[in-house]
Amino acid sequence: MTVIRLARRPDVWTVLKWVVAIAVAVIAIFPLWWMVNVVFSLPGEPVSINPRLWPTSVAAGIDKIAMIFAETEYFRAYVVSLIYSILTIFGVLAVSSLAAFEFSLFDFPGKKITIAIVMLSLMVPTAVTIIPTYLLTSELGWLNTMQGLVVPGIASAFGLFMLMQFMRAIPRDMIEAARLDGAGHFEIYWHIALPLSRNAMVTLAILTFMRTWGNYMWPLIVGTRPEMYTVGQVVGLFNAPLSHQTVDVVMTANLLAAVPPLLFFLIFQRKIVEGIAMSGTKG
Amino acid sequence: MLLFVVFFLYPIISGLFYSFHDWNGVREPTFVGLSNYRWLISSRDFSRAMTNLCVYLLITVPIGIFAALGLALLVDSFTGRWANFFRNAYFLPVVLPAFLAATIWRWIYAPNFGLLNMILGWFGIPAVNFLNDTGTMMYALIAVDVWVSAGFNMVILLAGLKNIPTELYEAARLDGANKWQQIIHITLPMLGPVMFFVVTYSVISAMQVFDKPWLLTGSSFTEYGGRRGALLFPVMDMMGQAFGELKFGLASAYGFILTTAIVAVTAVMYLLGNRKETK
Repeated sequence: MTVIRLARRPDVWTVLKWVVAIAVAVIAIFPLWWMVNVVFSLPGEPVSINPRLWPTSVAAGIDKIAMIFAETEYFRAYVVSLIYSILTIFGVLAVSSLAAFEFSLFDFPGKKITIAIVMLSLMVPTAVTIIPTYLLTSELGWLNTMQGLVVPGIASAFGLFMLMQFMRAIPRDMIEAARLDGAGHFEIYWHIALPLSRNAMVTLAILTFMRTWGNYMWPLIVGTRPEMYTVGQVVGLFNAPLSHQTVDVVMTANLLAAVPPLLFFLIFQRKIVEGIAMSGTKG
Repeated sequence: MLLFVVFFLYPIISGLFYSFHDWNGVREPTFVGLSNYRWLISSRDFSRAMTNLCVYLLITVPIGIFAALGLALLVDSFTGRWANFFRNAYFLPVVLPAFLAATIWRWIYAPNFGLLNMILGWFGIPAVNFLNDTGTMMYALIAVDVWVSAGFNMVILLAGLKNIPTELYEAARLDGANKWQQIIHITLPMLGPVMFFVVTYSVISAMQVFDKPWLLTGSSFTEYGGRRGALLFPVMDMMGQAFGELKFGLASAYGFILTTAIVAVTAVMYLLGNRKETK
């Protein structure tokens, strides 16, 4: 009796589990799949009642991509977004790692207070800082410039926090030893702290990329001229109710905007997942 | 260090300064005391945005977290390649920029040939104009929101699950506890701190919701919030006041009220969290 129950019950559970798991996976992936299908089908077709379950024409999709690059401002926006993301990544890495290096490995007067201030700023929501930051950027004459986009995003309290957690683990003996060997402050940073925290730096770079590429609010107010539009803004404009763009154009723009983060995810999936999990469990 | 001061401290202080002034960004600011705050609190848009926010918070946070927990348990019950596959599949929406999620869903919700209405059509349900019907707009937003946030929170919860020692489950099994009892008596209590982070983070980010409702409605500084302000949220209204109406003082006051609310909610949650832990 019990033997039968033990043998049968897991079966029901397993079947149920698989059904649910697959159903949820479909919900998670289908909107993206649908987007791909709209792009890779003949123009006019997507608007029909017919559901797009499979891509029907690869050539049509390529045409649409070529068209959107040739006839709209999309290519420029792509370049702006890429430069914006890359500069932000380097900025965040440089600033956070230097600051984390000082904070976690050395003592200096006022250290506790400065850490407290930085941690406090971590908790202050963007809602309160965004307008004053905008005003400051405009006073500096940085509206519609790359530095206006990038610089305010470089002060990443999150990055500092993450790297500090990591660098604290570096044994102080190692630094003392290096100093006895005559290494200067910067050399210790460059030759010891940086190589040892390479993993954390890579994770931070990836997360920063995701965040910057997907940043919609800041470019929306800083880059108001078409030359400074980012991918997010162009997608938003295409999508606005009065833009009269067809679903083809919108979805092609969407698909192209999705490509870099998706590529990153495919390559670095483990790092991304770990990075997010780490910020959650340690934070 | 200078950067942090310039881009964190200065904005906070100058924001406080501007919030007591009437300023359009061009003229000299004039001191108006508390009138920005007074005007805001009595404004109709403000109360609508705040009401919307409360409704939104009360629905989206619990659903998002239950979904995330369900997914985490589900993924955790698989092993090897399949666990990886499902985890990545559920995480996929998180990878996309938020603006993309909103634009894709906007088309899925489209009234005539949108995917969702088509599926409803198969079951004989008449088309719904999801993003223009004040009764459905909020739920349309929440669905998109859960679609994204569930995967994010799931990853954090999964890491928490992995940290629970398996001996605990074995001991429970020996005591005759079934799967369900194991979840209630071991998994949930052991997830406590991680859960606390997830809840706090969800609440804080939900209070600042902007991209998604913005892009699901008019998405410009003069037209946002959708029909009868059904998807009007505080940050959207704040941005509209600042860049649509050029009332920077008012918008700063808005930011401060919102921040106070966020800090208050966070503080309450910390207190609750601490009390639970000492029990």
